[in-house]
Amino acid sequence: MIFNSLTFLVFFAIVLALHYAPFFSWHQKKINLMIASYLFYAAWNPPFVILLWVSTVVDWWAAQWMVRARRERTRKLWMLTSVCVNLGMLGYFKYGGFLMQNFVAVAASIGIVYHPPGWDIVLPVGISFYTFATLSYTLDVYLRRSAPAGSFLNYALFVTFFPHLVAGPIMRPTELVPQFEEPRRANPNQMFFGLALLTLGLFQKVVVADGFLAPVVEAVYDQHDKVPGMLDSWVATLAFAGQIFCDFAGYSTSAIGVALCLGFAMPDNFRFPYGAVGFSDFWRRWHITLSSWLRDYLYIPLGGNRHGQARTYAALMGTMLLGGLWHGANWTFVVWGGLHGLYLSAERWLKARFKGFTPGRASLIALALLTFLLVNITWVFFRAKTFADAGVILTGMSGLAAKPSPLIAAGPMIIAVAIVTAIFGTHLAMRNTTLEAVIERTPSVAIAGIWTMLLFAVIVEQGQGSAFIYFAF
Amino acid sequence: MREGALPAGLRQTAANRPGQAQPVPTRDIPLQPWARMGAVVFVLVALLLSLWEYEARTRIGLRAGDIDDSPQAWAEARRAADSAPVAIVGDSRILFDTDQARFQALTGIRPVQVSFVGTNSRTLLENFANDPKFHGLLIVGMADLIYFGPRGVGVGAPAVHDYVRNGKPSQLTGLWIDRWLQNYLAFMDSDYRLSKMVPKLDHGWRKGVDSPYEDVWKISETFPGRQYFMWGRIEAPGYLQAHARHAWNGFKAPPIPPSLVNKVIVRSVEAVRRIRARGGDVIFVRPPSAPQLRVNEEHEIPRTLGWDHLLATVPAKGIHADDLPQAQNLVIPEWSHLSHKCATVFTDAYVRRLTELTPRLKLRADAPPPLTRLDCVPQQIAMAGKKA
Repeated sequence: MIFNSLTFLVFFAIVLALHYAPFFSWHQKKINLMIASYLFYAAWNPPFVILLWVSTVVDWWAAQWMVRARRERTRKLWMLTSVCVNLGMLGYFKYGGFLMQNFVAVAASIGIVYHPPGWDIVLPVGISFYTFATLSYTLDVYLRRSAPAGSFLNYALFVTFFPHLVAGPIMRPTELVPQFEEPRRANPNQMFFGLALLTLGLFQKVVVADGFLAPVVEAVYDQHDKVPGMLDSWVATLAFAGQIFCDFAGYSTSAIGVALCLGFAMPDNFRFPYGAVGFSDFWRRWHITLSSWLRDYLYIPLGGNRHGQARTYAALMGTMLLGGLWHGANWTFVVWGGLHGLYLSAERWLKARFKGFTPGRASLIALALLTFLLVNITWVFFRAKTFADAGVILTGMSGLAAKPSPLIAAGPMIIAVAIVTAIFGTHLAMRNTTLEAVIERTPSVAIAGIWTMLLFAVIVEQGQGSAFIYFAF
Repeated sequence: MREGALPAGLRQTAANRPGQAQPVPTRDIPLQPWARMGAVVFVLVALLLSLWEYEARTRIGLRAGDIDDSPQAWAEARRAADSAPVAIVGDSRILFDTDQARFQALTGIRPVQVSFVGTNSRTLLENFANDPKFHGLLIVGMADLIYFGPRGVGVGAPAVHDYVRNGKPSQLTGLWIDRWLQNYLAFMDSDYRLSKMVPKLDHGWRKGVDSPYEDVWKISETFPGRQYFMWGRIEAPGYLQAHARHAWNGFKAPPIPPSLVNKVIVRSVEAVRRIRARGGDVIFVRPPSAPQLRVNEEHEIPRTLGWDHLLATVPAKGIHADDLPQAQNLVIPEWSHLSHKCATVFTDAYVRRLTELTPRLKLRADAPPPLTRLDCVPQQIAMAGKKA
């Protein structure tokens, strides 16, 4: 089920009614939420609920046995069991075909012809998200950062809680499990602010990402008969930068709003990322819950910055390459991650070289613009399905395309550029504040007016119920 | 939760807390009269939607009950076709030009409409050929240019490729709720979405690229059972009818090479053979097009090279609109699809012929009398035609 669907609106109305029904105990309400979450997930593909159960039960028991273990080796064994089961499921469903393809290619390169049977496995939606969420539970217990959950129901609800289940924010058990311990209900302010956030998220997804930006991106990236020139390649790539932000941040904003309506707090996942100055700043603002997960469970265990320069750079590159692969079973994603790794390494080197440099206002804007443009280069590999496609776009962006053809009509192009400029400008202007702070100092008449227009636009746009891009990850 | 926005810099995220268990997040609620604002927003949106609905019904001419087609609706029809005695595949022509109620009145069987606008019926024929569950009669409607052309599935590709996904519970419930709402709300029409209307302001500002203004706009109304008919506003002379004609660009395209035609025929033969081998049958139908388009269609794929060659080779029969006396000189408002009333006349003509070609369809004893051109062509035009 997706937030931008009529089914979800009916589902959410029922969930709210059950959550605020006076005749249910808190225990029963949690069971209701868990059943609703399973329904939310099963609406995509019912059999895959089994994977959720496996992940839930294995990690629950792994953590329980870890705490009861007297020897360090036993603890490690249970931690490894959890890691193997979770990554095994992820590997089989998400990377099985990719690994097989590469194995066949490597075998062919040394003269071994191998024709494997077709790998026709459906990717369970959101598997990358809930695998990381449940892994953080056993890893936190193993690393003695937190105690295991006190009740199986609270833990199972943490895994399945529908607002974050399929596309994040990737929550840690310590962020959510304590919230299940006491009855939660939103007061009127929280409820209506949650609905406002849900409206904003849906506007980003339905109107901006799907309605106005996706067609511009598809006009260039999904056609193979003509070669795009510099203008079309840049506009399509900039439009994709806007599309993926509005798609994913729209989901996160909706999720936060939905949880708020139920009385639960979820963490920020985006903080005006295109206003970032530098790449470490970018990753503190973009998909925060993933980047911090990778930092805590990959970068730091790989050595982080505590073992000298060479090891730091190696850990950085390793983390970003794997982070790229997390997004999809394709080498283009690995290159996307690798480019970010290179950017981060270069920035680290430059920061060490120019320690005393403090940018003024003009240089800050110039550096933010440079960061944004370099991020756009990486988006080419993220969006293109093959390296050949990426090559065509990059050739176009560099102005070297032979006999380019215009691909984007003027109207949609103007709209896309205006939207992306607005996104970049807003992010830059709000890089040191929060949405809540800005809303608080804006007159309520203006807020109500904007909220009205956003909701009206969402309804008039209707939407096609298209899935969020990150569902595929 | 915290009432009031936190000052800048105080709202921390996981990015600020490396290597530690993350605490329960703090969500600050901006100090605003949220409940009052919510009530105002609800009233204003209800007001705006009422105005928009009024605009949709009066100025645009939409009506409640015109149910948008969708890949999910196609998936539903495709599933139903598995066990259906008669299914229809094809592009928009057979979709617009078949009146399912007339078909049923004549034969007692309501066909399952599995055609899709802008879609190559050959790929749909192959889709059925590869489906061992189908044993019925498959009517393959075709526009020659699409059928013999180099394109793949065409506009219906998302529907065909995502067939399995579109049958999932969430997609089905979405389809049902959407249909229910569309029975009451006229503005819910995918051709009048915000993102479709705004780009139409571009009347071809950039040379060398088709602007959204050049796209095919709304030309159909859809009724239950994926029953398409020409939209009333296209049937009446005026701006929208002129635009619809303009959008086809005369169906101008380079001639289709005979080698490609031969390849298409070979694949068609194989597809028909597979359906017949398991007890099914196939009949091709070529609906009419107006002379303004037909001249170009003949130039690009002459009937002798395409249709006649196909029927001479495939183990299946066919009905060409040219060969149906009752289907001549019907009203084709935008030159490619019949008017609502003439679709009924054409259906009447081709279904009667179908009953002669296949034992799978029999004319009912109480079938209504045959229709003629006069049943759909406005009288003054019919008289003028007679005089001419």
